[in-house]
Amino acid sequence: MTMIKFEDVNKWFGKLHVLKNINLQVEPGEVVVICGPSGSGKSTLIRCINRLEKFQKGKLIVDGTPLHDHGINLTKLRADIGFVFQQFHLYPHMTALQNVTLAPINVRKIKKKEATRLGRETLARVGLADKVDSHPAQLSGGQQQRVAIARGLAMNPKIMLFDEPTSALDPEMIGEVLDVMVQLAKEGITMCVVTHEMGFARQVAHRVIFMDEGQLVETGKPDQFFKNPQTDRAAQFISKILTH
Amino acid sequence: MLKGFNFRIILEYMPFFLEGLRNTFLISIVSIFLALIVGTIACACRLSRWKLLRGVSIAFIESIRSTPLLVQIYFFYFGLPTLGFRIPELQTGILALMLNSGAYIAEIIRAGITSVSTGQIEAGVSSGLSYFQRMRFIILPQALGVTVPPLLGQSIVLVKDSALLSLISVLELTRCGQVLTSERFMPTEAFFTVAFFYLCIYFCLKTLADWSQKKLIFREAY
Amino acid sequence: MMAFYLQRLLEIFPFFLKGLWMTVVVAGLGLSFATIFGFLLGIMRSSKKKLLTWPIGVYVFVIRGTPFVVQIFIIFFILPEWGIQLDAFPAAVLALSILGAAFICEIVAGGIKAVDQGQWEAATASGLSIFQQLRFVIVPQAMQTILPPLVGQYVLLIKDSSVVSVIGVVELTRVGWMTVVRIPEGLMVFSLVGILYFVISYPLIRVSNSLERRMAVQEVRL
Repeated sequence: MTMIKFEDVNKWFGKLHVLKNINLQVEPGEVVVICGPSGSGKSTLIRCINRLEKFQKGKLIVDGTPLHDHGINLTKLRADIGFVFQQFHLYPHMTALQNVTLAPINVRKIKKKEATRLGRETLARVGLADKVDSHPAQLSGGQQQRVAIARGLAMNPKIMLFDEPTSALDPEMIGEVLDVMVQLAKEGITMCVVTHEMGFARQVAHRVIFMDEGQLVETGKPDQFFKNPQTDRAAQFISKILTH
Repeated sequence: MLKGFNFRIILEYMPFFLEGLRNTFLISIVSIFLALIVGTIACACRLSRWKLLRGVSIAFIESIRSTPLLVQIYFFYFGLPTLGFRIPELQTGILALMLNSGAYIAEIIRAGITSVSTGQIEAGVSSGLSYFQRMRFIILPQALGVTVPPLLGQSIVLVKDSALLSLISVLELTRCGQVLTSERFMPTEAFFTVAFFYLCIYFCLKTLADWSQKKLIFREAY
Repeated sequence: MMAFYLQRLLEIFPFFLKGLWMTVVVAGLGLSFATIFGFLLGIMRSSKKKLLTWPIGVYVFVIRGTPFVVQIFIIFFILPEWGIQLDAFPAAVLALSILGAAFICEIVAGGIKAVDQGQWEAATASGLSIFQQLRFVIVPQAMQTILPPLVGQYVLLIKDSSVVSVIGVVELTRVGWMTVVRIPEGLMVFSLVGILYFVISYPLIRVSNSLERRMAVQEVRL
């Protein structure tokens, strides 16, 4: 069964048409990278998947749940989706461990002892076993983002969504976060990643999707997409980011 | 609940209410004006280099801020006659209001002046500007923007504070309500009318204060 | 003569302490209820639903726009006309609670609005319910912004409690008012009253100031 299915999805912000006739399918275990110029609607697209954004027209089915219907169980939907923000948005008044265990305890209703064990495991998975009791203010940007990833993973989600996870990081910290994401991709979790990190896309993405002005312009396998873009806009975009 | 609300009585007493309203206006305007003077002087003393002036102003400001206005009003109302000063209630009330708001205004002005970042003052000093020039060109223009909204806020507080003067028999708006209640046993009509008038004043002042706040935010964008 | 009055004053000092205690009780109860209701209202006020924010907005406008003494008169004199007969003490606590809740509501709403929008999104994305989001993520962070003005509001409520003396509650100000009839030394009597108010307010003012300073330091560190 398809994990994520967009069918003719359209969204307007007032008069601005931000998503135009989006048709997209993501299979379980697929890693999809979405790229494009700023304002193209990439973030809006993935934010629709866990209902951080609503849309006006079209159908969106996530893990069997039709998001366009009323009365859907948002708690259950969001429990199964992990979301990593560009600005991390860790809870500053909690330790890394508390950040990671908050949702498992209160949403999945896991007992505290078990959740703590799970939390430690997940933090170890992202390489931060020694930072369990640190507060976000004591961690570097890269470490904070890894805690944010652990926070998503601790819920054992079916889908992990990443909204420009490395764009707010200093260059030397991007690597540690991408390494974690590569590891996750290899473990077979369904991932949608909005990013400009083409190295990551080449390594683990099954598909690269290029968006511009609210539309899905082109999609293809990473190698194919980067070496041989089919459309002019895609070609323009690729040349701009590669000359960085 | 409101059945039998006697509008006729209100109409009958309307000239009386309007006189009370007028007095509230006058008391508030005079008090705020005097309080500004008191506040400026107190603030200047508070920021001065001489320990004595600073000490006296701090003692004044802190005593006012730590004690209720009603106690301050009673202090003057019952206390001044014992010193031989036979001052009518209206002036006593204005004296208490002026000193009370003056203390708060002193702090508002002080906050405005200290809000100007030291970096700018250092730049002024480095350019060779004198104390007065720095005050005039750098500090006061910026402090003014920060000061006006809280000053309007204090005016609102003062209008409400003026209601306490009714307790020393000053004929302002609240007193009209008390008189109507004792003369005709109609507290509902009396105090709802009084409340309505206060809300009108509040609405005007608040709109002014919000508008000035918006203009201030624009200035902070620099 | 003065020495005679001073001696009499010291004799009835216990009476003042009783009044001080009554002030503490009335203000304490009032500010406790005000905090509970203020927080509830403030949380509702910060929501986006107009059905919730609008009635609360009207309530806050009316309470902040009318003098407390008028509110007390309304509760004490008008409620009996609608069948609710209250003694002076409960009426006083009720009036203070209503007054305090309106101001605390705005303080809490402001604190919640000051929390970064991203925190809401992160908590929502984890599947937490609105109640869980407020409890674990939003309100703990909002407390930083809320605490200093909240303590400041407590000081204001203690001072406002002096106004309940007009409906006969024998708290500190009323004691002073009753005393000055028998010991006509207004300055002495109300200085004593003022000092006693100072004793209970000043510690809170110091706490509020230090909280403000601590919060400012934290902001710089960010």
